[in-house]
Amino acid sequence: MLSTDELQINIGPQHPSTHGVFRLLTRLEGETIIELTPVFGYLHRNHEQLGEANSYLQNMPFTDRLDYFNSMANNHAYALAVEKLAGIEVPERAEYIRVIMVELTRILNHAGAIGFLFNDMGAWQTQLAFSMREREKILDLFEMVSGARMMCNYFRFGGVVRDLPPEFLPALQDLLEAMPAFIDELERLLSENEILLARTQNIGILPKELAISYSVTGPMLRASGIPYDIRKAEPYSIYDRFDFDIPIGSVGDVYDRFLVRIEEMRQSRRILLQALEQLPDATGSHINPKARQNVRPPVGDAYTRIESPKGELGFYLVSDGSTKPYRYKIRAPSFINLTPLGDLCRGHKIADVVVILGSIDIVLGEVDR
Amino acid sequence: MSIQIQRGKAITVDRRTRKTPMGQGLLRGLGVIWKHWSASFQKNDSYKKIQGTFTIEYPEERRQLPEAYRNMPILLYDEQSGHEFCTSCFQCERICPPQVIHMTQAKDPATGKPVPAVESFEIEYDACMSCGLCAEVCPFEAIKMDHTFELSTHDHPSLTVDKTALNRPTTYYAQIAPRMWEEVKENAYKKLAANMKRRSDLIGIAPQMQEQLREQLARAPQAEPAPEAVASASTTADDKAARLAAIRAANAAKRANSENGQAAQGDATQSADDKAARLAAIRAANAAKRAAQQAQASEAPETAPSESASPADDKAARLAAIRAANAAKRAAQQAQASEAPETAASESTSPADEKAARLAAIRAANAAKRAAAAAEKGQEE
Repeated sequence: MLSTDELQINIGPQHPSTHGVFRLLTRLEGETIIELTPVFGYLHRNHEQLGEANSYLQNMPFTDRLDYFNSMANNHAYALAVEKLAGIEVPERAEYIRVIMVELTRILNHAGAIGFLFNDMGAWQTQLAFSMREREKILDLFEMVSGARMMCNYFRFGGVVRDLPPEFLPALQDLLEAMPAFIDELERLLSENEILLARTQNIGILPKELAISYSVTGPMLRASGIPYDIRKAEPYSIYDRFDFDIPIGSVGDVYDRFLVRIEEMRQSRRILLQALEQLPDATGSHINPKARQNVRPPVGDAYTRIESPKGELGFYLVSDGSTKPYRYKIRAPSFINLTPLGDLCRGHKIADVVVILGSIDIVLGEVDR
Repeated sequence: MSIQIQRGKAITVDRRTRKTPMGQGLLRGLGVIWKHWSASFQKNDSYKKIQGTFTIEYPEERRQLPEAYRNMPILLYDEQSGHEFCTSCFQCERICPPQVIHMTQAKDPATGKPVPAVESFEIEYDACMSCGLCAEVCPFEAIKMDHTFELSTHDHPSLTVDKTALNRPTTYYAQIAPRMWEEVKENAYKKLAANMKRRSDLIGIAPQMQEQLREQLARAPQAEPAPEAVASASTTADDKAARLAAIRAANAAKRANSENGQAAQGDATQSADDKAARLAAIRAANAAKRAAQQAQASEAPETAPSESASPADDKAARLAAIRAANAAKRAAQQAQASEAPETAASESTSPADEKAARLAAIRAANAAKRAAAAAEKGQEE
């Protein structure tokens, strides 16, 4: 019997499979992980402090850069926080436009997350190319309304920047028509693939209790079997008007997280179809004409949270009555979902670390802020 | 644990626990890839299709950019009147999140009061985050977002762009964003018309349009021009720069005239200064005229044999004429400056001032001579 020593390995801070500048400090016994500590902060940009130096509107384009996959969702959460603080009302039509954008973002994010997950697993580019194709179509739509593909900066206090252009709705209809074929194909391509099953089933199991104690949210929590979705639990915007289901997993492993994301794309499509149906009846315009963009909210504080594609995204703002927030704090889902990584990886092989990390679906822009 | 869910239910995802023969899932996946491969010889041109090539061969093929597309901010001017829409209200400078917009307001040279026009406007393109807030807050529709995105360069400082590089005619914007321009056009022109009334001379005219506009001004009969100005303005030379210089010289002289008139009249030294300034102006105007003639003369023979040489000569002559005009203006200013202490009855300073004015006049004359020589040289070449 050979005697073995523990080995310390540093993965990162720059590793192609990690999703950004991120470091994993691992202790190994052979190839098995005994301990893993995520180290972050390499992409720290002083976002929150910067937010206190900017006026309320000036922060809007900066929120795009938090989770650069979901700029619309970030915009929504921030706009809701300022609207709550300043007491701004949002017209119905603007609410519908917002929901359409955020649900498109969810589809985009999940398609991308699945693509990158399989990239991490070694299925180089095949799945990612299919995901990117759908993502590009959605980005085309974003560009049409907001002018930018990723850094949309589309939401304003009391609505959105501009109304939907006439070519938007037909394009969205076409996109939604093609969506089921894309999602079904994704499932056919992947979910019965033996290699994928071997790599994902019973890997990185997150038990319910642990998920709650780590305050994990989003698809990761739902994959652990807890049907918690802020759109249902505390409906914001107009989410109480739509029928949709909450997909949950039964085991809480990487495979469940993958399946939950696929199902969420279907549910998002359902919401989009309902929103499109109800949009023509919506009253008001795309923005509340009385809403001032250079807001000066009364003294007080507000916390709003939304179900962003990655989990609960919350903005906490404290106003001292001036044009700039006195305190600007973000509850970032990527950051909090990343914290149980050490527990998820313990006992698994080193090759599984990258798969587990991919299944958490993080964006370092949001982790480090 | 029970959680109530309104309008929907919790569904447990299917983990596909049924056993399939080994390898079938892989083959099914390969089937999908095969289908995509065989369809990849066709173009995917519709959102309804999920197969086919959806890439664009970028430098050769280009996407039609949507109207709302935003890359970098540009400034608009009206190509009819030449006026810029910007009034330097500083709204964009204030809102800009990365603080890359810098501007100064134009001031009336006569009164020193601010005019609703922008004197200098600078944007650091390298630090701009293309958020579009500047275009959104602009109440005069002066700043808009451009569609050009190929801005990469090795020359980093060149990405700090000034007004000349930022200015675009409204026709350009109407072309890239017809609907968005149509919406704001009326409002923009209404506000511009109000602002144009408060702008004098060439303030607020886009640098691209200034030359053309001066030419128009020169062609139009002037109301009460100084005699020398009429002479130079009526020359049929088509070298507009020379003509421009002449007008400038005339204006300078006129200004010197009127300012002197306002000052204490009976002063002996004042009249001397006046005379010096006037003389300088006349000399400068004459020089400019000469330069123009020379330029014209040099152009005539050259147009036929060597086309390439003429632009350089033209440039030199123009440059010289402008220099002469500047010198004349300086002289006029000197003369003006010398008056101020004189009205307060301090005679001792006057000879020095007079000297300065005279010196300036001589300089102007020399400059004009040089210009003529340059033009001549150009002709010889």
